[in-house]
Amino acid sequence: MNQFEIKDCTLLTRMSGLPPALNLRELRDRITRCRQSVLYHHFCETLLTPQFDYPDYRNDFAVWVKHQIDDNVLAERLGILDPYSFASLEDLRLLLLELIDEHLGELPYTPSAHVGHEFYFMEATTVAFDTGKRINRPEELYDAVIKMTPGSLYFHFFEARWRPPIGMDDFSAWLQTLTEPSVNVVKAFQSIDFSFFTLSEIKKEILAALSKAK
Amino acid sequence: MNHPLASYEKVVGAPAIQQLQGLGVRLANLRVTHVNSTREGGGVAEILEWMIPLMCELGIDARWEVLQGTSDFFRVTKAIHNGLQGFPVAIKKHDWDIYQDVNLHNFQRLQPVLEASDLVIIHDPQPAPLLGLCRRRSGPWIWRAHIDISRPFQPVWKEIRPVVQQFDASIFSMAQFAQLLPHRQFVIAPSIDPLSEKNMNLSAKELEAVGSEFSLDPARPVLVQVSRFDKFKDPLGVIKAYRLIRKAMPVQLVLAGGGATDDPEGQEVLDEVFDNAEHDPDIHVHLLPANAHRTVNALQRLADIIIQKSTREGFGLTVTEGLWKGKPVIGGDAGGIRLQVINHHTGFLANTPEGAAHRIRYLLHHREKMLAMGKAGREFVRENFLLTRHLSNYLTLLLVVFRKNSDRTIFV
Repeated sequence: MNQFEIKDCTLLTRMSGLPPALNLRELRDRITRCRQSVLYHHFCETLLTPQFDYPDYRNDFAVWVKHQIDDNVLAERLGILDPYSFASLEDLRLLLLELIDEHLGELPYTPSAHVGHEFYFMEATTVAFDTGKRINRPEELYDAVIKMTPGSLYFHFFEARWRPPIGMDDFSAWLQTLTEPSVNVVKAFQSIDFSFFTLSEIKKEILAALSKAK
Repeated sequence: MNHPLASYEKVVGAPAIQQLQGLGVRLANLRVTHVNSTREGGGVAEILEWMIPLMCELGIDARWEVLQGTSDFFRVTKAIHNGLQGFPVAIKKHDWDIYQDVNLHNFQRLQPVLEASDLVIIHDPQPAPLLGLCRRRSGPWIWRAHIDISRPFQPVWKEIRPVVQQFDASIFSMAQFAQLLPHRQFVIAPSIDPLSEKNMNLSAKELEAVGSEFSLDPARPVLVQVSRFDKFKDPLGVIKAYRLIRKAMPVQLVLAGGGATDDPEGQEVLDEVFDNAEHDPDIHVHLLPANAHRTVNALQRLADIIIQKSTREGFGLTVTEGLWKGKPVIGGDAGGIRLQVINHHTGFLANTPEGAAHRIRYLLHHREKMLAMGKAGREFVRENFLLTRHLSNYLTLLLVVFRKNSDRTIFV
């Protein structure tokens, strides 16, 4: 039987080199020019960065638009974007720009933040490593998840979706390779609306899905 | 007192400790030297005090060297420090010579250690010229800026920039603090040690004793600002806020702070604070010795609300300490306070004494909000600003900095 190798990861954030954006037009301009890793960071890696997890919006652009330029309409439109539902980060960039352009077209002014509250464009390097721990059977998954770090959960449940098999978490991918695939568990994992949870919340969701599928 | 890594398990859980060990294994025997300018007083020394032993416990050959400076040197570096934070200062050519000479003197003492290090981390501007003096470097040198240099006083930045841009990388506490430099600029937020004397749990008996020692009336609300007596911490603004609150509520104010060997301006500000307090028996101003960690801890725990009304701030670890003790924080809208004080969630940001007074009165009338904010603040710190996360960031840095490529994911 295939073993599941438990990986862990940590994140190191760095400046992207782009100037910060003080208003919506500057934000648009930087989004046009930024590397994909910047988009990835502000949509996906924000879960691993030491910052307050605003319960209402799951990406940094939406949070900034809501709290710093006080534009609830655009914040709502950006907040619903699910980066994992796009075929590529370029597609995500295109829609992001389209939403901002559309909104700028609706406004007679350019929404702006106060000085000191600019949007800073960041990127990060993820360092992944093998913990040496293995899961041999599906029944062991529950206890293993309880002991996982936020880094492990991020790596296996979020970051995994960008690796083949694209769009699938590592747990589901592993379960499907077994001679007796745990169809119910895979189905339960796939029903988790994962992009709306913090890492501590996602642990509870995964555990609940495992309990339910038993 | 230093605590072994295992003792943090009860605070952050076993997985977080195992993660550190997993990273440490991959860094065994790496020779890492940290250099700063003071062994005690201030946030940097407090960080290095726990970080070095924990790095060593993880198998890294970590050391901590401290600049030996004269009072003239610290006067100059304090001016540089203020200048980098945007305050106009007069630094003459002779002063820059003192800055260079003391570094040269220290380099002669530290040369073997610096040359043999696989990685050197220079904290703040005081020891930065060591880089230019060390010709035979074994590995990268990183400049760790603990202060906000985003809007520096230009004549000072003009002198410091050529020094720091030679480093292989720099680290800032927040993106907002950085300057554009021609190397990789990492962002690592600082942290607190939950088991240190400043943050550990204290008995009710001990709190009572400290309250009585400081003549605090347990029946009335206590507001506490703990910080160095520094103009950027705005102690006079805090007194003004207190007076506005006193018109409506019988609060007590504690302004307590230590000095640091590299901060000669403290006494001047302290005198000003005493004058401003005008012998009000409910304003308790205390200059605490650098090692009064337990007293600071007790005062923060005795507080109903923690204040940190800085107008300029580095990260603001006293805010982190207050949140960890389950207290709402009224913070100045500056620096790292913004990252920690989230309006309506962990406290309130205030721009003026009036704003601070308003929020404090609101909270004192809504005790249930205070409790909810305190709880949220403590969990926020547990997840983000304890030393285990900080150490994890540094270990990650040690794995990343030797690689020139900027791949999004690296496997080690």
